[in-house]
Amino acid sequence: MLFLQSLISGLLTGGVYALAGMGMSMVFGVMNVSNFAHGDLMMLGMYLAYFAFTLLNIDPYLSLVLIIPLAFMFGYVLEKVFINRVIHHPHQNQILLTIGLGLIMSNSALLAFTSDPRILTTSYSSSSFTVFRDVSVSVPLLLSFIITCGITALLYLFLSGTRTGMALRATSQNREAAQLMGINVSRITAIAFGIGTALAAAAGALIAPTYYIHPLAGHSFLLKAFTICVLGGLGSVVGATVGGLIIGVVEALSSVYLSSDWKDVVVFVLFLAVLLFRPQGLFGKKGDQ
Amino acid sequence: MKNAIMNQKLLSIAVAALSLFPLSANAARPVKLGFINSITGKEAQIGENLTNGAAMAVDDMTAKGYAVTVVREDDGGDPKNALAAYEKLVTRDRVIGVVGPYTSGSANVVASRADQYNVPILVPAAAKEEITMKGYRNVFRLNAPANVYSLVLMKAVADFKPKTIAYVYAANDFGVSTVKTAQENALSMGLKEVANEKYQQGQPDYRATLAKVKAANPDLVFLVSYDADAILLMRQAKEIGLSPKAFLGAGAGYTTAQFAQQKDISNLVVSATQWTDDVNWPGASDFGKRYKARFGKEPSYHAACAYEAMRIMIETASKTEDPVKLRTTLKNGSWNGIMGPVRFSDYSGFTNQNNHSMLVQQIQNGSYETVYPAQFSKKNIVYPFRR
Repeated sequence: MLFLQSLISGLLTGGVYALAGMGMSMVFGVMNVSNFAHGDLMMLGMYLAYFAFTLLNIDPYLSLVLIIPLAFMFGYVLEKVFINRVIHHPHQNQILLTIGLGLIMSNSALLAFTSDPRILTTSYSSSSFTVFRDVSVSVPLLLSFIITCGITALLYLFLSGTRTGMALRATSQNREAAQLMGINVSRITAIAFGIGTALAAAAGALIAPTYYIHPLAGHSFLLKAFTICVLGGLGSVVGATVGGLIIGVVEALSSVYLSSDWKDVVVFVLFLAVLLFRPQGLFGKKGDQ
Repeated sequence: MKNAIMNQKLLSIAVAALSLFPLSANAARPVKLGFINSITGKEAQIGENLTNGAAMAVDDMTAKGYAVTVVREDDGGDPKNALAAYEKLVTRDRVIGVVGPYTSGSANVVASRADQYNVPILVPAAAKEEITMKGYRNVFRLNAPANVYSLVLMKAVADFKPKTIAYVYAANDFGVSTVKTAQENALSMGLKEVANEKYQQGQPDYRATLAKVKAANPDLVFLVSYDADAILLMRQAKEIGLSPKAFLGAGAGYTTAQFAQQKDISNLVVSATQWTDDVNWPGASDFGKRYKARFGKEPSYHAACAYEAMRIMIETASKTEDPVKLRTTLKNGSWNGIMGPVRFSDYSGFTNQNNHSMLVQQIQNGSYETVYPAQFSKKNIVYPFRR
């Protein structure tokens, strides 16, 4: 029972991790930029969901319809104004820029929304149902998981089936060749960053009903997203999905069978093992980074 | 000759009067104090309570005629920043006394250096016992240390004869030291430990941990968490169906107004606190009202601790104007304010520790009611816990 309980809650939490990891992976794949503002973009998504709920009375899951396009536009503009300027610079410059942007976002949020954590309490916030006699499943977490699956499927279809999706993949594979083939690479990069931002904000909004909303809440997810990306293979969307689920399950199982205190250790040992034996990540291609 | 004696007498009376009313003497040169707090970072929410409490103390004392400059420093909840802040305050700003830092981790590190610089610190609300257990001459603490948290909580439910206990606590100085002493107290009460779960703060999912605790089926669940982790843990405890005879929350996250508002998860949770506004210590309820009027929210015990610590520091520092004299005056003085009687004494291994009497409160229908000790409380504890 305990095993099943931890497996299920680990899988469900892993779903949201996966969404956070996917956005980061997308940006890295297409732009070769490690986005250290990713956690803070998630935090903005949390606040958007919170205010949509408290001010406009929109259910946090429904508010995704508003949040995703809004975040996409924000990301698009962010890329055009800032990220674009460092895209051919060394990694450390890009890291400094994204860390800086993240600091500005989190500290502006601290100024505007104060440091009081907000709690988004919906009618189903702490509700659950029981399966297999004794295993409880959190309703909001299950909803988040289902929506995550939907978003992942849509993203997959978009990347494999549409012209823009193909252009995104082409740019990700070889930027110069894509440009020579007539792809508007600078537009594609902006789109990639927009999608990355939208995924981050969606992950934030999805976790908002079961977590607390705080200007610095994104930081713990940034590290997680980064681990997931490397584990799954930088730039691989499928890899990020699988990586997220793995981390969720490993965390849950190790906190039951070892100790809650040790779960991060287990995650990072796993992370190191992947780096040692499969440096390109589980789904990464050899020769990428 | 008689006149000369008379004059001398008058002079000594005048001197005595001056030292009694330092305001007139010090009006020209304000006394300089430091205040180290977690204004940003993980502990920022509680830090804000301390900021507000200290600000009220400064304003109240200024209104009474004390001239004081307080240099505020932010440690972001990080011990090494706290130490840097203390060193800066002492060497560059030349303050004669420091109030803070807030967190146990920060306070412990600063405490270890205070004797080196010989500038006293008054810790308002950090619980780790070690801070005042190493015999530092320049370290004073207003609040009760960690062992008292668990002691009062267990005393409050002792009459109901619980048999087993589980611990769920944050992996930080406050959590670890509180649980360590709780285990000693539990042992002397004959409670059997059935689960011990230390968790990393800020995680979104504690369900697996809580499911493990549920499987152990404890009578008491003893929790130590900061901030919103408390809400998250209790929410997921409800989901999982963890329902012991009592949830005992040691301070911090279980004593905020926000936690009490989450009625469906927080009702009947018992917690230990340094202060409530319905206790009969002088000025306590008045402080609660004024705080609420000024900042638009209920003060936590941290606000009261910071207020009283700052008030004592300003009063004493104005009298002495010198770090060494300040130390001896703090050591020998006694006060009575919103935190009840205060005296920094040496007892059972502690040095310069105020033997503060803690209170136990229970959330009943969305508000905190003091339920223990009996002489301070109007309501009875509800046991066992039920949803």
